[in-house]
Amino acid sequence: MKKRNYILIAFLVIVVGAYTGYKYLYKSHRNIETEVASVNVNANELVKMFASENSELVLNKTVEVTGTITEMDAQSVTLDEAVQCTFSELPQNLSLNEKITIKGRCIGYDDLFEIAKLDQCSLTKQP
Amino acid sequence: MKYFIICLSFLFATSIVAQEKYSTKNGTIVFEASVPSFEEVKAKNENVSAILNAETGDFASLVLINGFRFKVALMEEHFNENYMESSKFPKAIVKGKLKDFSVSELSKESTKYTLEGTITLHGVTNPFETVLSISKEGDTLKIESNFVLKPTDFNIEIPKIVSNKIAEEVNVNAKYSLLR
Repeated sequence: MKKRNYILIAFLVIVVGAYTGYKYLYKSHRNIETEVASVNVNANELVKMFASENSELVLNKTVEVTGTITEMDAQSVTLDEAVQCTFSELPQNLSLNEKITIKGRCIGYDDLFEIAKLDQCSLTKQP
Repeated sequence: MKYFIICLSFLFATSIVAQEKYSTKNGTIVFEASVPSFEEVKAKNENVSAILNAETGDFASLVLINGFRFKVALMEEHFNENYMESSKFPKAIVKGKLKDFSVSELSKESTKYTLEGTITLHGVTNPFETVLSISKEGDTLKIESNFVLKPTDFNIEIPKIVSNKIAEEVNVNAKYSLLR
């Protein structure tokens, strides 16, 4: 009877260990859409945060950016010529000069175009 | 009238500048450092910027390290935190000049040009040379390039425990559609 218990406990430990190990190795990706934004700013303010060396506050963080659409292409919109937001699927009903708020992950500042870039974006507010 | 002429000359001047430059913010870079029979080590970035000055053949491309997406979330985390240290070195840049480049020679068939310049990655700048295949359709320039990078050239240390699961040579593929 005792021996049986030991085997059962050992078996459980192995199963739990394997499960947590697997969970750690193959944990799921962040879900930016459901994360709470760490900052909520205008498009130009986000760019200024990179200039003033405050980039660690926003780099790889979920941010919410408000601005007017100045450029659109197949996958992304640019707000106030300052922040490019890339969607996995661009919302259908957007148009130029519309003021919107977008949530996304800030991946950094691009010196070539002098813009900040967001990926995994979702639309949070539309008038 | 004076203002009109000034405005007109400005318009004219900017249109000349705009004509020389082709650019994109949505280029793609895929790299792979897989070893057979181990987990695939592969990532993709679809937010790569590039500018080509068609007059001079000057080319620059910038990629934000945080924008690389892996299939496995933990691999993405290790890539950023341990290997690329993307909070310290958030971007990689290639700057160079295309040898014997002229836009007028371009056609729908791709032409090969040699790019000579530098690459900056993980805070280390190294000389860089690669071949770009460029084709032109209307106002769009399609550019593609394949090259190999070695992590050791950029002071990127890969711990012994995982070194047999990551290739020593990383194959990189870059694709751009540049617009005037």
